[in-house]
Amino acid sequence: MGITHDVGQELGGLVATAHRIGEAIESVIEGKRDVVRLTLTVLLAEGHLLIEDVPGVGKTMLAKALARSIDCPVRRVQFTPDLLPSDITGVSAFNQQTREFEFKPGPVFANIVVGDEINRASPKTQSALLECMEEHQVTVDGTTYRLDTPFMVIATQNPIEMEGTYPLPEAQRDRFTARIAMGYPEPAAELEMLDVHGASSPLDKLEPVATTAEVRALIDAVRAVYVSQPIKKYAIDMVTATRRSPDLRLGASPRATLHLVRAARAHAALAGRDYVIPDDLQDLAVPVLAHRLLPSLEAQGQRRRPEQVIADLVRRVPVPESREGGADGAGPAR
Amino acid sequence: MRLPIMAGLATAAVALTLYPLFREGAWFWTGMGAVLVVAVVSVLTTRPGVPRWLGPPLELVGLGLYLAVVFAPEAAWGWLVPTTDTLVALAGLLGEGFADIQRYAAPVPSNPGITLLTAGGVGLIAVLVDLLAVRLRRAALAGLPLLALFTVPAAVMTDPLGWPAFILGALGFVGLLAADGRERLSTWGRAVLVRRTRGAGTAGASGRGENTPISLSGKRIGVAAIALAVGLPALVPTLAPNPLFGFGVGSGNGEGGNTITIPDPIASLRGQLTRNGNDTVLTYGNSDNVPRYLRMYSLDTFDGDRWTMSQPKGRPQNSVAEGPLPPPPGLSPDVPVKEVTTRLQVSDAVENLSFLPLPYPANTVRVDGDWRADETTLMVFSTHDTAGGQDYEVGQREPTPTPELLGELRGDPVEDVAARYLDLPADLPPQIRFLSERLVSGTDTPYQAAVKLQNWFTSSGGFTYSLQTQGNGSQALLEFLSNKTGYCEQFAAAMAVMARTLRIPARVAIGYTGGTFLDGVWRVRTHDLHAWPELYFQGVGWLRFEPTPSGGLGQATAQVPDYSRPPVEVTGTQGPSAGPTPGPDSTGLSDPLNPSRAPRDPDANLPSTPVVVDTGTPVAAKIGIGLLVLLLIGLVPALGRVVARHRRGRVWAHAVPAEVTDARAGSAEVTAVRLGRAVHGTWRELIDTLHDLGLGHELSETPRALARRLVERHELDAEAAAAVTRIAWAEERLRYARTPGEIPSLKGDLRVARRALRAVVSRGRRLRATLLPASTLLRLRRAGESMLDGFDRLENIRLWPRRDRAEGPAEPAEEPRVLTGSRR
Repeated sequence: MGITHDVGQELGGLVATAHRIGEAIESVIEGKRDVVRLTLTVLLAEGHLLIEDVPGVGKTMLAKALARSIDCPVRRVQFTPDLLPSDITGVSAFNQQTREFEFKPGPVFANIVVGDEINRASPKTQSALLECMEEHQVTVDGTTYRLDTPFMVIATQNPIEMEGTYPLPEAQRDRFTARIAMGYPEPAAELEMLDVHGASSPLDKLEPVATTAEVRALIDAVRAVYVSQPIKKYAIDMVTATRRSPDLRLGASPRATLHLVRAARAHAALAGRDYVIPDDLQDLAVPVLAHRLLPSLEAQGQRRRPEQVIADLVRRVPVPESREGGADGAGPAR
Repeated sequence: MRLPIMAGLATAAVALTLYPLFREGAWFWTGMGAVLVVAVVSVLTTRPGVPRWLGPPLELVGLGLYLAVVFAPEAAWGWLVPTTDTLVALAGLLGEGFADIQRYAAPVPSNPGITLLTAGGVGLIAVLVDLLAVRLRRAALAGLPLLALFTVPAAVMTDPLGWPAFILGALGFVGLLAADGRERLSTWGRAVLVRRTRGAGTAGASGRGENTPISLSGKRIGVAAIALAVGLPALVPTLAPNPLFGFGVGSGNGEGGNTITIPDPIASLRGQLTRNGNDTVLTYGNSDNVPRYLRMYSLDTFDGDRWTMSQPKGRPQNSVAEGPLPPPPGLSPDVPVKEVTTRLQVSDAVENLSFLPLPYPANTVRVDGDWRADETTLMVFSTHDTAGGQDYEVGQREPTPTPELLGELRGDPVEDVAARYLDLPADLPPQIRFLSERLVSGTDTPYQAAVKLQNWFTSSGGFTYSLQTQGNGSQALLEFLSNKTGYCEQFAAAMAVMARTLRIPARVAIGYTGGTFLDGVWRVRTHDLHAWPELYFQGVGWLRFEPTPSGGLGQATAQVPDYSRPPVEVTGTQGPSAGPTPGPDSTGLSDPLNPSRAPRDPDANLPSTPVVVDTGTPVAAKIGIGLLVLLLIGLVPALGRVVARHRRGRVWAHAVPAEVTDARAGSAEVTAVRLGRAVHGTWRELIDTLHDLGLGHELSETPRALARRLVERHELDAEAAAAVTRIAWAEERLRYARTPGEIPSLKGDLRVARRALRAVVSRGRRLRATLLPASTLLRLRRAGESMLDGFDRLENIRLWPRRDRAEGPAEPAEEPRVLTGSRR
């Protein structure tokens, strides 16, 4: 009972801090509570977020708002076709005075990196992000530099194929924990936005509400959230279902399973719970899994998007009904 | 490849149903060997490049070789290559087999002749099935030869075939059809691998999705049809026992209207006598309380191999309902007769008996149904009614000749009687004729000869009674007369044949002895089935004789008729009271001095507890009982539901809240387990309630989601909403949390939740939930689904590892995709 109690206290603090961050973001992005919550989930799960939507719905604004509400180094990279890998990771420059090569860190050396319109950069530049995102380190000229914790890449991209864009390769998409779409705001929210944004940018007034240390503590607390055996099995059932679905050409990877469970931990912690329940996984299945899947030709023909396929699968995979796992319809107390 | 194997398996499965026909199992392996040979040849000849027509001839050759090697290896060249000697040997064996089949009643011994016949027959059926299913691709038609094989045991055995045998045969046929369907689909060019996808980690969920394979429904239909065929007759309470595969009276069109199938009475005789059970067949009471033999069949023809019955003729004017039966042949008016009335009740369990057991000679028969009398033999039979369950009254004018009267009869039998009942085969061994003439030397009337003959069998001849003997043909009789061992079949047949050699018209009667007097009625049982000779004396007609030893060492209830007792002065061995008295068996009760005539105590052979006879329940009552039983069966799910609910409720009494009241670690664990059981029970109860009320619950719905749905959709009040949420929360913690923590008793919550949920549905739904709870049916359905899953697994067993195809992504071998229909 002791452990549960401690975690409970920590969770209380966590929920309060997360609530503060959430409110701060929401003061900028109106009417997008779910999106904000998912963003926080990804942050606490030590993952990376891909925001995909048409231009002008506030993708960059969301990224900036999150970055600004935490008191930590934030760097923004505007991806363009002529961006070079060294523009992201940094370069070794020769110092005339010391007569030595000196490493000039690139924009990834920050706690939060906002990659705007990531699909405008060439694949070579995009892949420079790969090592940083997965391994939290940068290697330049044979020297490896650790990145700070927390480290989160928030990338935005336009879904519509436009001139001068390079679609993200599957390998890189798989490295993003979740992908969300902003969606157009509700008319009421849009009206409010006109009122508020008309005079000045609310981003300017945004003050940091949490420190890096606080966020680090939150991440530690999330790591302690309990995932029972049946839940792990349920997560595996879910990804296995995507691999077996005739609607999908490419199913979810084992990395996806890992991301799903990590995100579920954060999701549970944000709800003030010290254990994961199937609802966490169900809520996260679409944002965490959908962007990694390739629909089969038949599904494409029927205009079924991976999101729909995942939603169907979630409705079909039975939730575990006992502590040992397994969805025996009877339960032990029959 | 699959189809020939399935054809062989189907034949083998149906051949298994032959088991009740044999006493030993030796035939089985030989028969299976024949099927195997045919299947192997079939598999080899279905390979590409082999002409399609070549299969069946090669299979026949293979079958022939196999039979030659198994049954006549010594005649073959090098034990393998058949020669003319082999053919001769096989033909000889076949002849023996046919003769044996004629002679024995089932179960027959597995001697080589019969085994050869069986193996050959099964092999031929296998070739036919293969021809139809594999070569002509008419798998459904292949059911006909299988059915033919299946009808053999059904036609021969009096007992209906067991349902496992039927299931086996039917599954074999369904398997053949399924294999045919698969091959047919596979010729469309797509891989057809049947696999229902269900449960965790699979895409197809409960098979209701777009992936439902056609073949699955086919299999379901097949299994359901078999289950119905077996289950329905067993479940439906019938008014009369109606077996699955009853047989007997046919109704084809023949001479003079309907014809009847004549069973081989002799063949079933031994089977009945050696049966383990000794059930009551009928009971009767009569006006003078004297046991009388009850005859059913009269066998008039002896062809050297066996005694048979010629087709009885029942003209419409001889219907027993029309008036008295024809007068007994040969009885002259000056013989004294005794009027006797007998009332008989045949047990309901007797099936398809189309001949009425009657005392001879019957004068009037009052019975329900269309029963006709045969003019010459006075057998009473029906083409569409059965004697089972009948309650009928027989009036009788029984001749009571005295030995003196009989001794004076010297007249020759009338022409038609002599022609029919003196006929003997030309090849009758002369020894029999010599023996009978030697035995009766010194007698000068037919009657004296008959009495002497009977006496030789019963006492002076030194015969012993044994059920181990077989047959009643000339050879069998010759053996019997020298071994002097046999049972009623041989005794009756021998005496009748010997009487014919002495120019006394004779026939063999089959029926029951008088039975045992028990609880105020005469009770006739299976073991009282009997054969006896009837001899004709011009002036008196047909009289029964009894050559079979009676009592504990013989036919238990057999009795020598009074008129056939040798007169005192002839033998001098009997006491004075054994002298002839008028009337057959008439002194059975009244003659205390004759121990053999006293009413028989229940024999040592017979069970001491009286067997209850169904005296018949009125039809209306039977219908009522049937409905009541149906109603009770219908209420079983509801009852089970109530019991389950109470059990789940009771668990809370033992589930102390999780606070550790005892320092011992073990007890804390026990408490946790108990608590877990209680919470799960409460949850299951809630789910079952939802199913009962038709509110539903999907397997993918989490406790939290369920509570939310119930509260929001059905607008539960605050108390009920809190109760449902608490139950869901407890279940959730129990399943997924590190420790469940403190969970209070949910008994009250469950009550509140149930009440609230019942309030949201209509009254009809509530009633249905109480009387026909769907949750119990759901469990049944799950059991059915897991059974179907088992079938699917069987279907997916691979005999050969699948060849990896170079093209396409590597599909996991255990997860074949189901592809039906065309690409959309």
